[in-house]
Amino acid sequence: MAQNESNTASGASPLLSVSDLAVSYGQIKALKGVSIEVFPKEIVVLIGANGAGKTTLLSTILGLNTPVSGTVTFEGKRIDKLPADKNVRSGVCLVPEGRGVFASMSVLDNLLLGAHHNLQNKDKNLARVYDWFPILKKRKDQIAKTLSGGERQMLAIARALMSAPKLIMVDEPSIGLAPIVVNDIFNILMMLNKEGYTILLSEQNAFKALKCAHRGYVLETGTVSIAGTAERLLSDPGVKAAYLGA
Amino acid sequence: MQVFIAQIINGLSLGSIYVLLVTGFNLLLLVAMIIHFSYPQVVVFSMYIVWIVLNATGNNLILGIAAGVLSSIALNVLCAPLFQKVMKNRGDVDINATMVLSMAIGMIITDVLSHAFNKGLPIAFPEALTGSKPFLRIGLISIMPGQVWSLLMGIIAVGCFFLLLYKTRAGRAFRAIAEDPAGARLVGIPLIKTGFQSYALSGVLGGIIAVLLAMLLHSASPGLGEQISHKVLAVSIVAGLGNLVGGLVIGLALGILEALVQGYASGSWSNAIAFVVMLVVILVKPKGLFGIKV
Repeated sequence: MAQNESNTASGASPLLSVSDLAVSYGQIKALKGVSIEVFPKEIVVLIGANGAGKTTLLSTILGLNTPVSGTVTFEGKRIDKLPADKNVRSGVCLVPEGRGVFASMSVLDNLLLGAHHNLQNKDKNLARVYDWFPILKKRKDQIAKTLSGGERQMLAIARALMSAPKLIMVDEPSIGLAPIVVNDIFNILMMLNKEGYTILLSEQNAFKALKCAHRGYVLETGTVSIAGTAERLLSDPGVKAAYLGA
Repeated sequence: MQVFIAQIINGLSLGSIYVLLVTGFNLLLLVAMIIHFSYPQVVVFSMYIVWIVLNATGNNLILGIAAGVLSSIALNVLCAPLFQKVMKNRGDVDINATMVLSMAIGMIITDVLSHAFNKGLPIAFPEALTGSKPFLRIGLISIMPGQVWSLLMGIIAVGCFFLLLYKTRAGRAFRAIAEDPAGARLVGIPLIKTGFQSYALSGVLGGIIAVLLAMLLHSASPGLGEQISHKVLAVSIVAGLGNLVGGLVIGLALGILEALVQGYASGSWSNAIAFVVMLVVILVKPKGLFGIKV
């Protein structure tokens, strides 16, 4: 379905391809056969309410859950049976929901943890990250819990960048942040996309997310209900009614 | 006054052994996520290995010490898959199950020591290791080589340990797992492999402790490990479970407290008094003096 509608997809092969993925937590079926694709240099957004399966999808792609069935293919290789550390090494990373940084460790330590498998390039990557996030350079010796919410979200994104990712997954970046800070975060994601990063984003803030994304998928109780370009989703009556408050 | 100074020195050297033991115990708790209650039994096992090798090689100190450290690393690393299997079978990390496994390991070691070595009688370490005359003697104060070594090595080992923890890639991964295992996994730190490194490191610490204990006590018995393990667990809890800095302070404090009781009251009461004091602390501060870090 989505494959045919993607205009950015023409000719290129997908960076990430999730096919018919099913994940269960005990008796509860969190994902019931989800298929999505992300092409190089795209921003793709997953829209859905709480419990729709967005976080499960992202963490399964990273390798934190074992799927019941279905496949995850990254750069043409199956990665659904691989542990998270292997996948981080090959260029998949996840910025967790709730600005999950190591609160009792310094900003610099947090960044270096992101570079755990990529320490040989740490100086170059640190310089680049400090260039994009000057506030983190200023606060590099501070303990992460002293940062504001927005700064923590920036740190979580910067930490992901330290791993030299090919695909950055960002789980609900806007949750719990002030509107002005949310704008900053989306601007950062768009800037990173312009720099060439491929981004898979999950959001409840559908309007903002679709404004900056190329394509989107709507997740409902573990399945993809609607898929298409961002413009199409923004004008879709079902999406409007359910997620855009129109 | 001389008695006081002598006992403070005694206390510091004994205390530095407690500090090393608690540090190894806390490392396993924080990074491998197990309660290795019997960690001191593994240390005592290595003391026996030191004794055997010294006897067999005509007191070759280098071989004896090397054998002690290597046996401690080997025993810790060999136990690691057992612990990790138990943790995996419980779905998620279940720390209580690991405690049962640790107790079993301790019981087996104690029984092996009391049946297989020296007919279960206490062993005495040769003077080649312990030193025959005091390092320094001023009036009532006499400082034995074992005391100097344990204090010195205690400071060096703890110093190196903290350097490793705060200045290296492995140490950073240790701290990340200690703070948030799920978060560490998410940024790509392999939990099992990094946990394995912590078993090896606590093995190195255990080997050093075994040699220092032999030098300090001059003897060992099958029941020694069990006796120390109660104290190590107590120190860790009184300091705040998993609190490395707390363990440092309380470990030294326990050593000094025991030495002072031995100096001014009856030595045979030192254990009871030490535990009464710790009982009072835990009644007043249930989360330990420095706070739980797990």
